[in-house]
Amino acid sequence: MSLKVTNIRKRFKQRDVLAGVDFSVSEGEIHALVGVSGSGKTTMLRIIAGLETADAGTVTWNDISLLGVPAHERKITMLSQTPLLFPHLTVGENVLLATPDRSKADAEQWLRRVRLEGRFDAEVHELSGGEGQRASFARALAASPRLILLDEPFTNLDPVLKYELQQLIRELVADLGLTALLVTHDREEAMLVADRVTLLENGAVRTTGTPTALSAKEPTFGDFIELDGVLYPLTRIEVSREPTGEPVVLVRELTRFGVRLGEYRRLSGEYVILPCDASFEVGREYQLRKKQGVVEC
Amino acid sequence: MKRILFLIVLLLPFIGLFSSMPAPLVFDEAVANTIVHVFVLAGLNVWLALGTAWWLLFTESRWRPFVEWFLFLPLFVPALASTFGMYVALVRFGLVGTQFGVLTVLLAVTLPYSIRIAYNAMYVIGRPLFEQALFLPPVRRVQFVLVPLLTETVRTIALMSTVVVLGQFVLVQLIGAGLVPTVTTRLYHVYAGNDVSLALQNTWLLVLIPALLYGGIGYLMRIWMKVMKGRLR
Repeated sequence: MSLKVTNIRKRFKQRDVLAGVDFSVSEGEIHALVGVSGSGKTTMLRIIAGLETADAGTVTWNDISLLGVPAHERKITMLSQTPLLFPHLTVGENVLLATPDRSKADAEQWLRRVRLEGRFDAEVHELSGGEGQRASFARALAASPRLILLDEPFTNLDPVLKYELQQLIRELVADLGLTALLVTHDREEAMLVADRVTLLENGAVRTTGTPTALSAKEPTFGDFIELDGVLYPLTRIEVSREPTGEPVVLVRELTRFGVRLGEYRRLSGEYVILPCDASFEVGREYQLRKKQGVVEC
Repeated sequence: MKRILFLIVLLLPFIGLFSSMPAPLVFDEAVANTIVHVFVLAGLNVWLALGTAWWLLFTESRWRPFVEWFLFLPLFVPALASTFGMYVALVRFGLVGTQFGVLTVLLAVTLPYSIRIAYNAMYVIGRPLFEQALFLPPVRRVQFVLVPLLTETVRTIALMSTVVVLGQFVLVQLIGAGLVPTVTTRLYHVYAGNDVSLALQNTWLLVLIPALLYGGIGYLMRIWMKVMKGRLR
C-alpha cells in the first residue's frame, strides 16, 4: 500500500505553483518533501489532505483515488508549524475528540506516549510550544490515520525541543507502522528524519532518493557522513586533539533513535575513522562523504 | 466604588424610564410582530452570515472579489442601494404592506454587517484552526468545535441584527405601509402624542427585547458547552 501522486498541477492566479508533480510514498516510510519557500510543497500537502483542490493530476492511496473525498474521510491527519489545539477544550479533550470511540483511556494513553501524562485536564494555554506540538501530535495519532502529514512541525521549536520531537515522531511512526510525509525547507532535517527525500523546485520534482544517495548526488544537500547507516551532518562533527597530539573526531550528533556520542580517530591525514564507541567495530572501514565526492578508506 | 460608578454611567440614559410607571404590557399585534421580526431576522442573519463567511474563508472563486467588494466596501452603500432598489421591486411585486416585504428589507439592511462580523471572527480564530476541524466528521465538527468557537459571534450577530431591526422605524413604516405595526412604529406615534405611560411601555420593550435575547443566547450557549463537555467525556 502506498500514496501515489501523479502529475499534480495547481495554478494560483498567473503562477504555476505545482507543474506536474509525481512521487510516491511507501507504507511505513517517512518521506520528506524538501524545497525553498514558494516551491509548492505546502500546497502539495494540502492537496493530499483534501484542504485544496488540484487543477489536474491524481492522488491515490492503494490505487484508490483520494480526489473528491472529503478531508475527514481520507484517514489522514496533519501536524502544522504551530500547535493547532482547540482553545475551548482541555488538552485531553482535544485528543479525546479525535479518538474514533471517544475513549478516555485511549486519550490518556496517547498523552502518555507523547510524554504528556497527567496533563489531560490542563488548559491549552498552559502548554509550552513543545508541549503543544506534542499534544497536537497525540491528537493526530489518536485519529488512527493511515497517513500523517507533517507541515514543518519543527520550525518554531528551539534546537532541544526540535530534536526531542524529531525523535518522538520517528519512534512513534516506526512503532505504529504509520506512513508520514514531512514538508520542510530544512534539508538537514529532512536527511536526518526521513527514509526518502524528494526535492521540489519551482513546482516540479528535481530529484528523489534516500538521504545517503542524495548526499552523494546533490551537493546542495550539504556534507553528511554516513556511519553504520546513520547520517551525521558534518557541521556537527568536531575535531580535537588527544594529549598525544593525535587528531580525534567527535560525533556529538544524534542518531535517529537517541543521542550517541561517538569518538572516531583520524589517522595519518586519511579519512580513516576508527570508532571508540561500542556500536562501531574497530578497524572497520567507513565512508566519509564530502561535497566533492566520496572518500573511501 | 468602581462598580457603583459603572452602574450609574450605565443606567443614566434610562433615568427617564424609572421616573414614572409604564402602562401594563398588552400583548398585541405590534408586540407580536416585533418579536417575530427579531427572532426570524436574528436567526436568518446568524445562518446566512456564518454560511457566507465560511464560503469567503474557504472558497476560491472568481466571484469572490465581487462578493467581498459588495459586502465590505463601504457597508452603507450596498445596504442603501439594495434597500431603495428593493423598495421599487417590492412595490412592483405587490409586497409592500406585507410581513414578507418588511422582513426582506430588514434582512437586506442587517446582513452585510452580520457577514462582516462573522468573517472577522473567523479570520481572527484563523483558517488553520478551522481546517483542523475539517479532519473531524461533520456532526462532531459542528457539535464540539464550530458552535463553541463561534458562540460569541452568534451572540453578537443576533444582538446587532436585533438592535438594527428595532431601530429601523422608517424602513418598517415605508415597506410596511402602516399595515405591519411594530413596537417601533407605535413608539413614534406615542412620542408625538402626550401618552407618557404608553411611551414608557414601548421603550421598556425596546430595551428588554435585545437584553433578553442576548442573555438568553448566552444561557443557551452555556448549557450547550456543559452538555458538549459531558458528552465528550
